[in-house]
Amino acid sequence: MAYGVTQQMIDTFGEIVFKLSLNKQTRRGDPVRELDFAAIETTRAETGLTDEEIAERIGLLPEQVGVVRVFTERKYHKIDQHRRIFHLGGGKRWKKEDYRSPAERLQFREEAMKLRESINFKPELVARYIEDGYWINETLNGWLCDHAENTPDKTAILHPGGDVTYQELKSQVDHLTNGLMSLGLMKGDVVAVQLPNTLDFVVSYLAITAFGGVMQTIHMPYRDADIEFFLDHAQARAVICLPAFKDFPTAEVMLTMKEKLGALEHVITIGDTAPEGSLSLNDLKIEGTPKIENPPVGSDPFLLLYTSGTTSNPKGVPLTYQNMMSNARVSVAEFEMTADDRNLSAAPFSHLYGLFNLHVALSAGATNVLLPAFSPPDLAKLVEQTKATTLFLGPAHATAMINAGLMEAHDFSSVRFSVFSGAACPAQMMEDYRAKIPGTVISQLWGMTETAGATYCRYNDAADVPLRSAGRASPGDEVRVVSAEDGTPLPADTEGELQVRGCSVFPGYLNNLEANADAFTEDGWFRTGDLATIDEAGNLSITGRTKDVINRGGVKFNPADIEDLIILHPGVEMAAIVPVPDPALGEKACCFITLLGDDSVSLDDLCALLDEKKVAKNKWPERLEIVDEMPLTPTRKVIKGKLIKRL
Amino acid sequence: MAEEFNPEDVKQTCESYVKKKGALAFGLANIETLDRIAPEGCRPADMLPKVRSVLTVGVGGGTRGSWSADAKTLAYIGDTETMAYRIAYGLAFYIEAKFGYRSIFVPPDMNPEKGARVPMQSLKLHAEVAGIGARSMAGDILLHPEYGMMYYASVFTEMELPPDEPMADNPCPHPSCVKLYRQSGQTPCMRFCPVECLSGSIGNDDKVEEMNYDSHACAEMSQQYEAIPSVLLDTLDAKDPIERGMALHGPENQVIWYKLSIGAGELLSLCYECMRVCPITQTAPMANPVARGAGMRQKVIEAEAAARAEQAAEKGE
Ligand code: SF4
Ligand code: SF4
Repeated sequence: MAYGVTQQMIDTFGEIVFKLSLNKQTRRGDPVRELDFAAIETTRAETGLTDEEIAERIGLLPEQVGVVRVFTERKYHKIDQHRRIFHLGGGKRWKKEDYRSPAERLQFREEAMKLRESINFKPELVARYIEDGYWINETLNGWLCDHAENTPDKTAILHPGGDVTYQELKSQVDHLTNGLMSLGLMKGDVVAVQLPNTLDFVVSYLAITAFGGVMQTIHMPYRDADIEFFLDHAQARAVICLPAFKDFPTAEVMLTMKEKLGALEHVITIGDTAPEGSLSLNDLKIEGTPKIENPPVGSDPFLLLYTSGTTSNPKGVPLTYQNMMSNARVSVAEFEMTADDRNLSAAPFSHLYGLFNLHVALSAGATNVLLPAFSPPDLAKLVEQTKATTLFLGPAHATAMINAGLMEAHDFSSVRFSVFSGAACPAQMMEDYRAKIPGTVISQLWGMTETAGATYCRYNDAADVPLRSAGRASPGDEVRVVSAEDGTPLPADTEGELQVRGCSVFPGYLNNLEANADAFTEDGWFRTGDLATIDEAGNLSITGRTKDVINRGGVKFNPADIEDLIILHPGVEMAAIVPVPDPALGEKACCFITLLGDDSVSLDDLCALLDEKKVAKNKWPERLEIVDEMPLTPTRKVIKGKLIKRL
Repeated sequence: MAEEFNPEDVKQTCESYVKKKGALAFGLANIETLDRIAPEGCRPADMLPKVRSVLTVGVGGGTRGSWSADAKTLAYIGDTETMAYRIAYGLAFYIEAKFGYRSIFVPPDMNPEKGARVPMQSLKLHAEVAGIGARSMAGDILLHPEYGMMYYASVFTEMELPPDEPMADNPCPHPSCVKLYRQSGQTPCMRFCPVECLSGSIGNDDKVEEMNYDSHACAEMSQQYEAIPSVLLDTLDAKDPIERGMALHGPENQVIWYKLSIGAGELLSLCYECMRVCPITQTAPMANPVARGAGMRQKVIEAEAAARAEQAAEKGE
């Protein structure tokens, strides 16, 4: 180091040099003005000395004092100090308690940064979405605040416990936001939610996202193994759940997860009394308007949903406000939804479809009618009671109501618009449905977790369009069909691989480089894995799948996971699960097996095994076919197409 | 016959010169006093060996509008020091031209070799010893009971003129500050300093007992030249490219490069929050530039009236 100065010398003399220099000045009395030379002399060191004077006093060379001083000054230097000048004045007096430097305010945990790193849009597309007005700086809570201010007394939620106005909803959300923040949760933290479509879900969702948190949804049927994977993969810091659901001790399982998983710190349960070790959601609420220092903005991720793919584990799909809010906002006009609508989603909010519907209704400032758990009679009764005007449902919901004669037994006349999605929609079923509600407009919507509501029939489309297609691309989105061989776009009405690009399309999977590499084309088209045709007018029809996924009533899952478990059965040699068409659910799972020995294996045996392995019931096969031999490729992969043909 | 050199008249001539140019206050500091107080190397003779007089001028602070501007704006426009420098520069030329004595405009700059914020010459000391300002609780910023906060500049000359005395009284702390201090333990300047660099105490005699000033904290917020080396070191120490980029291009640092690139000598000089709340700065009779303007006009009116009266007397009217 310069001039013989060592680090030790800096450490040793730094403080005294700093104190004696003009960095720190103390004046006692007013000796200069009073020309009190004796006092000036005795307090000289306090008023600040030059380096030469300090050197003389402490026994270093002046040059050495200079080195020691600048390194000590650097130690005390706060680069942020001069930022404060931006936060002062203008007649407002400075209050230190009101000031926090951006470095303190705008903090993110490492896990949050990882999630943010997975937000990876194509810059040229982003520029287009912004320039065209699709992406703006809007958030879910921004919408809530607007409605609470402009239409405070309007009913936001109709639920079994009563109704909640937008103003009341805002204050419930504020109080829970305060509570969640009091746990130390901060922007970018993932909070998992395993709840049905209840007021608690809506309040939790809005509160989590109000402070910049990211909500991860866990479908209600999921059990231990799935839950562990989801919480771990998302690095969730908290989970909000029921104390128990049917025979599943939810809170107990979540508390076990808390022990197991490093990131999970809080288990919050619905209701006033929380099982030991968990926190009660109601107790958590703290009155007052939250002070949010690092508020969410349009480009932030706020949702983390999971989808099944062709790989062995589900993939995390982070979605930003700009993705989802733009999709919902533009859809309001296409559905002609208004604040006067009473909207009912039969789809669970844990799915993209249910959330999309909730967003559309919130964007319109409409009333959301909540159906906590679907059963055909409950849905039919709720429509009648609440005079719902817009209904978002799956074909299975409609089929069940039609088959049970519920649409005749209840008054559906209020329903002016019905949207179907989640699974293939048989034209006959849709016609039957429409025939039972004279005057209602039906629509079909197609979307995936990765694309949100990518295509749909418009409110004013011709009546036959929804019977044969899922409509045109949502504004801001594009769809095309390409050749599976070389990726070239195909002409109208030709089947090929469906690709989607646009403002609602997700930015890439969380921590999954491999999947991301395959997911998009160079120019930003998402490869959906579905086969489809698009007609001259741009209406999309899904015709099949390039990827191996079962879509059971909208719940998509990769059968490979289940097959891996089934071959654990001592009697099973090989297993292959394929979809089998089902009028209600769209698809069900059929399991083909070859046997190891002479003993037969029943469907019940396999279900018992899956139950034991804590696999969600909706992934269990519902049909079993025992075959002597599996059709295999030369590399010994099962040719599932051949199995499907046998059904 | 050569004009007789009358030091008092010459001093008066110099004062008229600077006041016509816009200075509010003028005085001479006693060199012997300065020599006893200023450290070696920072005394007047270290700069002008045959110096006989130290002349100091004070100009008023910012406009009334500037005190109600936001802090960033005030930080740029609150200082009027260049006005003081211009007048002092003119004065040095004026003395040489009119009286034939070598003079220099005293550079207001730092002498970094001497230490942290050690100036080549302390303009503050000159002004204080010359009696045109007294040290305040706000980091020893000089205040004047009539003009409030001023900016100062000095001229050294080989012409010998009679020095002035320091002010008999210190206007700081203002009675209202004493009252606030008794209630809260803080004066307004202490309370509103954003980096909490001011503290101290007031004695039973209502005068400053102790004044503590963390000039490092004050300077690193407002005097951005202090930050440049730190910015560069932060850049080297940055742990990732984003942090590195922010160290150089972050909005709080970019202003440094901006100021450097346009060659502006003045970076931000102070945040002025202590002065914005100081009753002396804000309410001294001539602190308000509008009042000053009126005062000046009044003086011109009076001078013109006196001149007319004189002319009339001469004409025997
Ligand atoms: S200029 Fe600003 S930082 Fe410096 S003492 Fe005054 S208020 Fe404090
Ligand atoms: S506010 Fe002004 S007068 Fe009052 S103590 Fe501070 S500097 Fe002195």
